[in-house]
Order: sequence, then structure tokens, then C-alpha cells
Amino acid sequence: MQTVLFEILAAAAVITGTFFSVVGVLGFIRMPDVYTRLHATGKVGVFGVVFLLIAAVIETPLGWGKGLFLIFFLLVTGAVTAHAIASAAYHINIPMEGKGDAGRDSGDTPPPWEPRA
Amino acid sequence: MACQMRTMFFLILAYLLLTANPEWSNVVLGAAVAVLVMALIPRTADVRECQGFLKVVPAALQYGVILGVDLVKSGIQVARIVLHPKLPIRPGIVAVPAGCRSDLGRALSAHAMTLTPGQLVVGIDESGMLYTHCLDTTDAYASMTRAQETRAELLQRIFLSPQ
Repeated sequence: MQTVLFEILAAAAVITGTFFSVVGVLGFIRMPDVYTRLHATGKVGVFGVVFLLIAAVIETPLGWGKGLFLIFFLLVTGAVTAHAIASAAYHINIPMEGKGDAGRDSGDTPPPWEPRA
Repeated sequence: MACQMRTMFFLILAYLLLTANPEWSNVVLGAAVAVLVMALIPRTADVRECQGFLKVVPAALQYGVILGVDLVKSGIQVARIVLHPKLPIRPGIVAVPAGCRSDLGRALSAHAMTLTPGQLVVGIDESGMLYTHCLDTTDAYASMTRAQETRAELLQRIFLSPQ
């Protein structure tokens, strides 16, 4: 009874993780520029891999302690990489889709979080 | 002393999680390893107040729960946007005040915002403004400022716990 329950849980986790991974890649293809694409790929990191890890913890002899640690480090580092890529793209003036840019007024001024010369 | 007890507690917890063996002999071995590690850590930066450890726990739990709920909510929202045939996005950069003065608080706020799908912190300036790229800028400013206020208050309670 209990093993059946765990197998259903693991299957649900695998399906959810795969679904979010596919949606993330689909978003990566459909989105127009770097920043919006990073939103889509961030979802693969946060949801896709976390749910697959949950399934792995249930189904394989990984141990839930190690799984928790992997999820923790994944959540800590995933946001940092997304921020690093976005920040670099903004600094080398990669054009952005859409309006409402509170960071930069015209094309040539540096972003306001940089020390002005 | 309280500070060192806290570090030791986390070290033993990490050891037990990694070995996945809650027997008494293993706990004792983990404590021995933790003491060894503590002896090797230089004891210079021990100035910070470390009281109110138990008061921190509920605030930290609340922070985690709020972050989790935000993650799930915005994850579903972004998935809906991606799967929508017209791709209804209105991207743009919104400046959100961080509301906390310490570097650690600002960094953790930026981390929480970036982790949430649909929000991506591009830069932080000296006055603590978080320049955030949003997938959907329609009334993003109001909701994000509100979310940031609760987050800043929780971070305040976690890291600068008043006695």
C-alpha cells in the first residue's frame, strides 16, 4: 500500500518536473530577447530539476538528506547565474524588448547602479 | 558562545543529513567532527550579536513559506504565458526600493526576487534600488513593492533580531 503511494508520488513528481522543463525550453524558443528568455530558463532550474530530484529521493537510494542539500544549493545558485547573465547583457547594451526602462533614460547613459565618472 | 553553539548545531545537522544515519554513535561522531571544524575556524569575526536564536526560527520559516508560495504562483503564471498562443508579455525594467540598509539584506532580497520566475534583478544601486526586469510590467510596481516590504521586514527580524 505504502510503496504504491510512493510510486504514485514519484510519478507525479517526474511528470511535473518534465512538464516544467518542456515549458522552459519552449519559452526559451518563443521569447524575443535575452532577459525574457532568462525568465523561461530559470523555471527549468527551479521547478524542473527540483521536482525530478524529489522523484529521485523517493524512488532511488539517494537519501533524502543529500536530496535536500542538492535542492538547497540548486535554489541558491540558480538565481545567481540568472542575475549574472542578465547583468552582463545589460552592461554590454544588448537591446531589450518593450518599454518601461527605469534603469536607463537614453541609449548612451550608463545604468544608475554604476559609479559615475 | 551562543554563536559557536549555533554554528555547531548547523554543522551536526549537515553531517546527519549527508550521512542519513541517525544512530547515536553517528551523532557522537558528527559532534566530534563539528568540534574539530570549529577548532579550525579562526575566531576573529565574533563581534556580532547572536542572541534570540529561537526567535529567528519562526521568521525564517515564514520567509521560506512565503518564498515557496511566490515561487509556485509565479511559476504557474509564467508557464501560462509561455503556453499562451499570443505570448502576452510586456517586458521592461522596474525600480523597486529594497527597504533594507544592510548589504546582506539587499543581496537576499535580490536573490529571492530573481529566483521567482517573471522577475530578474539586473542591478542594485547605492541607495538600495533593485532594478528588476519583469515579464509583465502591468501593475508590477505596486505588487512588487508590497512583496518587498514584507520580505524586508522578515529579513530584519531574521538578521537583526532585537534581543
